Amino acid sequence: MLSTTPRLALSRQLKNFRRFATATTTPAEQPVKDKSDTRKNVLEYRQIYPEFLPDPKIEFRNPIREKLERSDMIARRANVDIPEFYVGSVLAVTSADRHSPGKLHRFVGICIKREGCGLRANFLLRNVIDHQGVEILYDMYDPTIKGIEVLRLEKRLDNELLYLRDALPEYSTFDSNMEIEILPEGAPVPVNEIKVKLKPRPWLDRWERKNLKGVQDLELPQRFYDRAKELETPWEKYDLMKQYMRTVPEEEQVEIFSEVQTHLHRSGAAQKLKRKRTFVKPTKLA
Amino acid sequence: MNQAEISKLVSQLRVRVNPRLRKLKSAGGPEARLDKLRKTVTALIKHERIELNYPRADESRMYAERLISDAIRYGDCHRETMEMADFWLIEKQLVHKLFKVLAPRFVNYSTAYTRMYTAPSVYPEVVKRAVLELRGNPYPSLVPDMHNNRNLIHNVLLDEAKKAYRTQKYEEIAAKIDAAEKSVSEEARK
Repeated sequence: MLSTTPRLALSRQLKNFRRFATATTTPAEQPVKDKSDTRKNVLEYRQIYPEFLPDPKIEFRNPIREKLERSDMIARRANVDIPEFYVGSVLAVTSADRHSPGKLHRFVGICIKREGCGLRANFLLRNVIDHQGVEILYDMYDPTIKGIEVLRLEKRLDNELLYLRDALPEYSTFDSNMEIEILPEGAPVPVNEIKVKLKPRPWLDRWERKNLKGVQDLELPQRFYDRAKELETPWEKYDLMKQYMRTVPEEEQVEIFSEVQTHLHRSGAAQKLKRKRTFVKPTKLA
Repeated sequence: MNQAEISKLVSQLRVRVNPRLRKLKSAGGPEARLDKLRKTVTALIKHERIELNYPRADESRMYAERLISDAIRYGDCHRETMEMADFWLIEKQLVHKLFKVLAPRFVNYSTAYTRMYTAPSVYPEVVKRAVLELRGNPYPSLVPDMHNNRNLIHNVLLDEAKKAYRTQKYEEIAAKIDAAEKSVSEEARK
């Protein structure tokens, strides 16, 4: 029974991440014990916490450093709530600014890129403020970050939305007073299938070569597509070893996440306490 | 610093993975390199034991392991795995062999699915050669069976143990005979 409780609590905590601001929890969940189910859970975590997986490059692997980094990450998570989010989600990050001591800076924007693993994990937020595109690169485990809120939890069709830099500004404009959109409980993360309209060339990158799914027709002369076709590498998807060397094998993933699980549970409990305290505050305002 | 790709799950390989992939001197670029490896993997699946140059053997060993481990993990109803098998096996009848023969053969293995030996090279040539084979193949073993070598330490120890056991038994038998003779002579004296 002891071994199942952390997992149970963690799944509950994950649900809280998803619903974020709602106060009710569902304790009625069947405790599951068999090995295949742990595996399933663990494989879900890789979507939510990809930064817990190490850099797959063999030269960079160092089990001891990875383990220390994971414990540091967990220690940070005990202090600040880092919710589940994806590229395409709209976030609000509150952070301390060293140029204005004593004040907090809140930035709302769409996450257009997630990169790095371990303590170096970071995400790039983009917004258009006063007709000017603004991007801020936040380190996820930066101690100056006071809080991360997910205002709209969704995914997009692409793994990187860097093309929003060349898109019409309305696609990356978000109101800084945007309210949290709450998803129904237990719902899968919705995929926003919006097709973005790009501005005419010149661009920051040759988007016609990137095989993007989330953009409208690029309206380029045929020679651009011809060149893109020439530079394609269709054989690369068959390179089994390249594929292997870009990911972490399942056995290792299971090991990492089952190690992290119990610790995440503890930080999850701390977060719950915190949330309760903040939940009492609004009565003073009223 | 990159994030690990999470879209596809793979099983851990039981062979050593080199940190860098070899280019194999392919004039046609990466596509030609894959073509070379494809030929070797097909030959390995077909003949189950092949002799070739070491670097190519080492490289195609990893690919063959990946192909078999995917076949075991996802089975023949998984579209991507089927496409992969279709690409890697030039002779299409081998696709059936991969899913119907090799996957069931290796499903309970806890070791690598292939074995590689360094092979001798004939004198004027200095190229390193290797023999690559699938485990559980029908051919006789390449390494001599050393189990019965009398000079191996466990065989020496077993021999000594046998000898000691035998002497002990002989002593017991001798003691029994002595006792029987004694009793017979005592009866005769009466």
